[in-house]
Amino acid sequence: MSTLVAAREVVPVRIARPAVDARRTFPGVMRGEWIKLLSLRSTWWVLGATVAVMTLVSFAVAMSLDSMAADPLLAPGLAQIHGAEIVSGGYQIGVVTIAVLGALLITGEYSTGMIRSTLAAVPTRVPVLVAKAIALVALTAGVTAVSVALSYVVTMPKLSEYGLVPALDDARTWQVFGGTVYFLVAAALFALGVGTILRSTAGTVTVALTVLLLLPGVLGFISLDWVESIVSYLPLPAASAFLAANDTTSLGGDGLTASAGLLVIAAYAAVPLATAAVLLRRRDA
Amino acid sequence: MIEAHELTKRYGDKTAVDDISFAIAPGTVTGFLGPNGAGKSTTMRMIVGLDHPTAGTVTVNGKPYAKHRSPLSEVGALLDAKAVHSGRNARSHLRTMAATHGISTKRVDEVIEMTGLAGVARKRVGGFSLGMGQRLGIASAMLGDPRTLILDEPVNGLDPEGVQWVRQLVRLLASEGRTVFLSSHLMSEMAVTADHLLVIGRGRIIAAGPVQQVIDSVTGAAVRVRSPRATELVDLVRTDGVTVTSEEAGTLELRGITAESIGEVAAAHGIVLHELSPRSASLEEAYMSLTQDAVEYRSDAITTTASQKGEIR
Repeated sequence: MSTLVAAREVVPVRIARPAVDARRTFPGVMRGEWIKLLSLRSTWWVLGATVAVMTLVSFAVAMSLDSMAADPLLAPGLAQIHGAEIVSGGYQIGVVTIAVLGALLITGEYSTGMIRSTLAAVPTRVPVLVAKAIALVALTAGVTAVSVALSYVVTMPKLSEYGLVPALDDARTWQVFGGTVYFLVAAALFALGVGTILRSTAGTVTVALTVLLLLPGVLGFISLDWVESIVSYLPLPAASAFLAANDTTSLGGDGLTASAGLLVIAAYAAVPLATAAVLLRRRDA
Repeated sequence: MIEAHELTKRYGDKTAVDDISFAIAPGTVTGFLGPNGAGKSTTMRMIVGLDHPTAGTVTVNGKPYAKHRSPLSEVGALLDAKAVHSGRNARSHLRTMAATHGISTKRVDEVIEMTGLAGVARKRVGGFSLGMGQRLGIASAMLGDPRTLILDEPVNGLDPEGVQWVRQLVRLLASEGRTVFLSSHLMSEMAVTADHLLVIGRGRIIAAGPVQQVIDSVTGAAVRVRSPRATELVDLVRTDGVTVTSEEAGTLELRGITAESIGEVAAAHGIVLHELSPRSASLEEAYMSLTQDAVEYRSDAITTTASQKGEIR
């Protein structure tokens, strides 16, 4: 008994334990990233722009059916078109705004200095990147699904004139719609990964758009065998392997099967992110 | 409690922090003093794990910062007034930080109130003045009610009222048993705020200890003497370890000798003294003499002024 008392007396004056209840958890980090995304005006601008641009482009493509039908050279091609491709026709433009969203998610923190607050709160660092990736997947999937749904609605009148309204019980329809969401989610993750590696908005947007959009067009002029096979592994041609509803419309031509296309696109998301995670841990903030 | 052990940071071939070791005790305000570019910020960034040391270790409350389950309740850091996304409002910024640790929105509003940001909490941080940015930085440092506070130049950009407030806040936090470590290049600020000093120059610790001790160790207590026979007196008292400076004829400043000894020597030789006053050096003088050789960016004007002082040795 007496030893206990003695022991207690030795204990130095303790600091009152913090009155604030705090414990870092992954769900907490996740919630933090959500608040970050939703509390920036730029997020809402980019999301709004994505929906607007994707819907408008699909609408414009649908409207161009008239002139296509009037042209005796192109009219036979009409039968080859699957309506789902017209509905999701805005994805090549949507990829621009989505890549900006993915890039800003991390480069916005580097350019403003926010990253230091973020990494001081989560010094293990990698959970931040994981939480950002999850939030980005959810947001991109949501906004592209909305865009496709809206495009479906606005193109319906014109598509029905040509009997091209994509049937919702057609597996092809869902392959194209699902593929569109999948491609744009991967593009967002690609930009997030590249952004974490480069830490600059301008550099990231340039690299992302070059790889995602411009390279196939540029390299398309070079008719060397090995260049052509590289081109079929670039994001856009690889995506067309599963975005084209029938074989004749695929961009890359000889390249990939649909499942190979899915894998290649997944690699575009995964490789930069994995590299980013390693660098994020290792580098000084 | 912050403990650094042989901490070193090199960027390329430039050594920012050079093999420093120190311990910062709870319940005190420790000032981290040094000229610009001396390694203060780098050291603080290593403490909270933003920069990785090239060699050595630094722990907070017994563990490396990143190993704590709840970093924000261990350390609150103000490293950069604007480590904040400029497009977000102040309250949202604090909420993103709070969310990671499951800290309640009630606490967020508390620190907003505490730091006097209530009026601007819903304004975007991009439009904040430097002083408001500092307050927001202090608010986010306080979020987790941390045991240790690290504040890099906290009074930078604050108005006099804000300076006073920071001073009182850090004194209060230290009196509650917390560890407070704050940096500044303003010695006047340190003199009134800090209990202990850690003086750094060119990445090395030049002096450490209680404020008064640091001052004394550098300059020693000086004695001011005024006498019509000053030159005579100098010859009598000058021995090893005594330095004499004179700014005007008949007035001396002696170091390394007590006022008593000077008085006795003067009396023994019948020298009239008009003034004999011991005076303690200011922190500013100590700082200047400490960092003389360790200033990274020196302005030329300083040397010119100094050379105008006549110096007899």
